[in-house]
Amino acid sequence: MNPDPVDQLGARLFEAARSEAIPRGAEQRALEAARREIGQKSSRKALSSSRRNWLAAAACVALAAGAALLLRPKDASLGISAEPPTIAHSRPTPPIAPRVEMPSETAATVRSNPVAPQSAPSAGPMAARLAPASLSDEVSALKVASTALSGGDPQAALAALDRYDRVLKGQKLRAEATLIRIEALSRAGQSEAASALAQRFVAQNPGNPLVDRARSFVHE
Amino acid sequence: MPDIAASRDEVIGIPSKPFRVGLGQAATSKLSIDSLVAQHYTFVWRILRGLGLSRADAEDATQQVFMIAARKLDDIDPDRARSFVYGAALRVANNARRGLRRRREVLSDETSDEPEPDFRGPEKLAELVQARQLLAQVLDEMPEKHRRLIILAELEQLEVPEIAALEGIPVGTAASRLRVAREKFRAVLGTRRDQNPFGDEP
Repeated sequence: MNPDPVDQLGARLFEAARSEAIPRGAEQRALEAARREIGQKSSRKALSSSRRNWLAAAACVALAAGAALLLRPKDASLGISAEPPTIAHSRPTPPIAPRVEMPSETAATVRSNPVAPQSAPSAGPMAARLAPASLSDEVSALKVASTALSGGDPQAALAALDRYDRVLKGQKLRAEATLIRIEALSRAGQSEAASALAQRFVAQNPGNPLVDRARSFVHE
Repeated sequence: MPDIAASRDEVIGIPSKPFRVGLGQAATSKLSIDSLVAQHYTFVWRILRGLGLSRADAEDATQQVFMIAARKLDDIDPDRARSFVYGAALRVANNARRGLRRRREVLSDETSDEPEPDFRGPEKLAELVQARQLLAQVLDEMPEKHRRLIILAELEQLEVPEIAALEGIPVGTAASRLRVAREKFRAVLGTRRDQNPFGDEP
């Protein structure tokens, strides 16, 4: 018995679909994106852990300073009580601060500026000497942020945008980057910050076609 | 001193030296991201194509699936890795289809720059492109749950127990649902027989 023509046609359609080649380099690009994701996850973990440790260390120093003031003998406090408790302003010392395991680059960032650990580990004079980023570089960088955002990870998107600002010093797609940042902030629950940034964007870019989109994030 | 050039490469997606942070973790995981991508990339990409995404959207969506997998790598049971990426692919496909970028395939997009594995000239290529378009149209007319089963059975050529495991349904349910799906597929394709891209061939 001959097979049904419809069944035969269906089989050939699926055969044609199976023969479709995946876009060249797509698998490698996905692998690189996934590896970056793992790297960002580890960085976030290390940063979060270091913040906690620094806070704990600062609290220990403050407690020690307070205890020293309370336990100081009366005659001593009468004599030199005007001297400020300088220990409260000193940096936490290694014996107090728990050891933090992290990549050297991240650790250097945190050590140099524990209050703002996100600030530019790589935005030094060397970065300034690099050639300006090409449009293609900027597009690629923003694609990383946009992919993270559409993948439901606004924190990763914000991290990617930070790197766009810091490492690439992107200029050509600054408006687009700002708009992605507004949306990422909003999705990360920082709606006030998103609104404020959107307001600034609207005020500074009145003729930009992205203004309408930005305006939708402004709280009335 | 931080490696500025390497940092910049990472930002724009160029593979730099081994990830200073990432590789260590991946290497100690039960499942490595490299093997996950190597084993399941084609599966995920074809599923997404079968669910109606264009070539470009399927690539973006497949990348998202593996980014999600990378974040959850430590939690993925290696024996259920395919189920994990399948579930992620369905969710990403739903989001993508709800988004703004869903487009109908056009010939120029389909042909793109990819050589066909069995390329035998422009006529054969056009035939293949038309066949894929017809398949996409037929699948578009099917209910989602039947469409998924048809894709798994006919495109991926999986057995019923494997389909049941991926769909998270009993084998009997999968078998009866697949039977209905095949009937629907056949019925829809029957109305489009005049579009047979293979001409007089069966």
